[in-house]
Amino acid sequence: MLSLDNQTLERLNSGAPSALASRRRRALEEYRRLEMPTPKEENWKYVNLGFDLDEMGLPTAPGDRLPDDGFAASLSNRAGSAFMVDGRLLVVDNDSEARLGSADEAGGSGSGMDLLAADTDKFAAAALAFSVDDITLRIPRNRAVEAPFVIDVQSTCSNTVTFPSLTIRAEENSEATVVVLFRSPEGVPSVLVPNLQTTVGYGARLSVTTVGLMGSEGANVMHHRSKIGRDATLRIGEIGLGGRLSRMDLRTTLEGRGGSVEVVGLYYGEMQQVLDYRLVVNHVGPSTSSEVFLKGGVQDHAQSIFTGLLRIEEDAAGTSAFETNRNLVLSDGAKANSVPNLEILCNDVICGHGSSVGPLETEPLYYLMSRGISKARAERILVRGFFEEAIGRLPLDDLDEPARQAVNRRFALAQEGGRV
Amino acid sequence: MGVALKVQNLRASVGSVEILRGVDLEIPFGQMHALMGPNGSGKSTLCHVLSGHPDFTAEGKAWVDGEEILDLGADQRARLGLVQAFQSPVAVPGVELEEIMQEAAEERGIDPDEADRRIAEASRRFDMGPFLGRSVNDDLSGGEKKRSEIFQISVLSPKAALLDETDSGLDIDMVRTVAAAVEEMRRPDMGVLMITHHSRILSYVIPDRVHVMMGGKIVTSGGPDLAQELEQSGYEGLRKRLGITSAGADTTPKPAFDFFTDHPFSS
Repeated sequence: MLSLDNQTLERLNSGAPSALASRRRRALEEYRRLEMPTPKEENWKYVNLGFDLDEMGLPTAPGDRLPDDGFAASLSNRAGSAFMVDGRLLVVDNDSEARLGSADEAGGSGSGMDLLAADTDKFAAAALAFSVDDITLRIPRNRAVEAPFVIDVQSTCSNTVTFPSLTIRAEENSEATVVVLFRSPEGVPSVLVPNLQTTVGYGARLSVTTVGLMGSEGANVMHHRSKIGRDATLRIGEIGLGGRLSRMDLRTTLEGRGGSVEVVGLYYGEMQQVLDYRLVVNHVGPSTSSEVFLKGGVQDHAQSIFTGLLRIEEDAAGTSAFETNRNLVLSDGAKANSVPNLEILCNDVICGHGSSVGPLETEPLYYLMSRGISKARAERILVRGFFEEAIGRLPLDDLDEPARQAVNRRFALAQEGGRV
Repeated sequence: MGVALKVQNLRASVGSVEILRGVDLEIPFGQMHALMGPNGSGKSTLCHVLSGHPDFTAEGKAWVDGEEILDLGADQRARLGLVQAFQSPVAVPGVELEEIMQEAAEERGIDPDEADRRIAEASRRFDMGPFLGRSVNDDLSGGEKKRSEIFQISVLSPKAALLDETDSGLDIDMVRTVAAAVEEMRRPDMGVLMITHHSRILSYVIPDRVHVMMGGKIVTSGGPDLAQELEQSGYEGLRKRLGITSAGADTTPKPAFDFFTDHPFSS
């Protein structure tokens, strides 16, 4: 295991381009300056990390690639695949016109993209200092790739932390669909700190779906930074199921006129899981639009957090921004927090937000029972129905069925065990 | 001939408010009874208390085909053969109408092919084809919801059907269709209680008995001419004939109705 210190950093820097080496050194300074986040900070409220990055380290060598799970298997028709195992880019398979590989191989200026600021938090600083390999996917201008690209990010070594750097660039008027899986084996305590960066060029259409599938002892602390250009569309899908902690710190900026972003999907926590969503959608350009639509469920002692800030800057006239977060709390010991927020610095906007936290509603339950459907079955139908709207809006249909099954199975098992 | 639905001295309250104050009713198999009464008299509450809505506490007795139901859950009552067509059914987003009919059939041990056959047949009859694959009661007009409810009764084919204002909000053609369906329910293995405000449907389907409810009680019962009397002289006229002072008869608060809006607890 390689500690997160100067010695490890210089080892990574040997043979690295000088710009990258000095960026790593600056990030290390930030890393040393910053403390581990605590629940006292607004942006980390409700989150008890229970580990310290200083006590962890990089794996010395990557472990074996994990076999496909239900989600990976459902993505049989792929434009390309890349596997990042324990921070190392292991396999790339790509027959498409897009470029997929390390920043060098994929070309362009991907390696120089730094949307994530090192002083965001200690995890961001560590990610910028100790990222070993990166994956860049570049969709060249005017090219449309129909089948999805799959980036399978895995953490397999106990007590290690890895910092995968993932960059997706959809160039002018291109189109692509991407799925990023985050996985770790059951029983392996490890921390994944991905730095996902996406840029969507003029008129381009990109969808990126992240699927959280870490084992119950794995943690995923992701930063996702994205920049959306003129008349460009980014659809972000989320299926959050895994990890004792799964955090998505998403900050997306609508820069060009007419750009749009959608964040849609679902999360479902069980046992002691903490699912943590911190979203900021920043409208800078005029006539931009955004919609956040996330549905969540928690059972057992799981906890979810959603904070969503829609920020409309002064020049973003003609903007529309909507945010919906609905949560089912299915056990007495479970908890969901939902805090939508608007910050509007411009008059000419249409904005709205809705948020709810609560158990299954009694009237629909009574209605289904009045047709002769037993209470347990009616509850399963209602849970299924609750998530159906979110599943139906996922950017890629291939993921609908595994997402549906995962949620339904969790609730049905909890019902059998008398936990809900 | 057996009795599809029997109710004896049924009292019910929600919180501390008593809404039903001793209802007696008996619907033999093969008969259709109409229940009329002014707004707030307790007609919908009667349906929900019999269906097992969890908000009500009930005293008294009720039987479906000889089996006591008041201690049973709403689902058990329905499987025993009591099904209500709701006046304002709640939307169940994300759950398809066809899906709940199939699930309900499965719970009753009905063969899936037989269930599909019944669904197809009832769907043709009530023109529900476009709604089978849509969320239950979601984004439906008032009339479409009524059609959906009578469609479900038709699929589930209960022993005792409670139709809560199924005829209101329908266009004239659909009133005829519903009336024909109700007429067909007058068969040896079924009894029907039809709550209605309008005597319009009673010109298509003649009830065996008409009951009038006021202030949480059935104050009088009679033949089809009772409905005609109401049409002519109104509830006020009936009160005079029966010597009921209007005060006290219908001062019942209305909490029960307010629970049955489409989105009762939406935030």
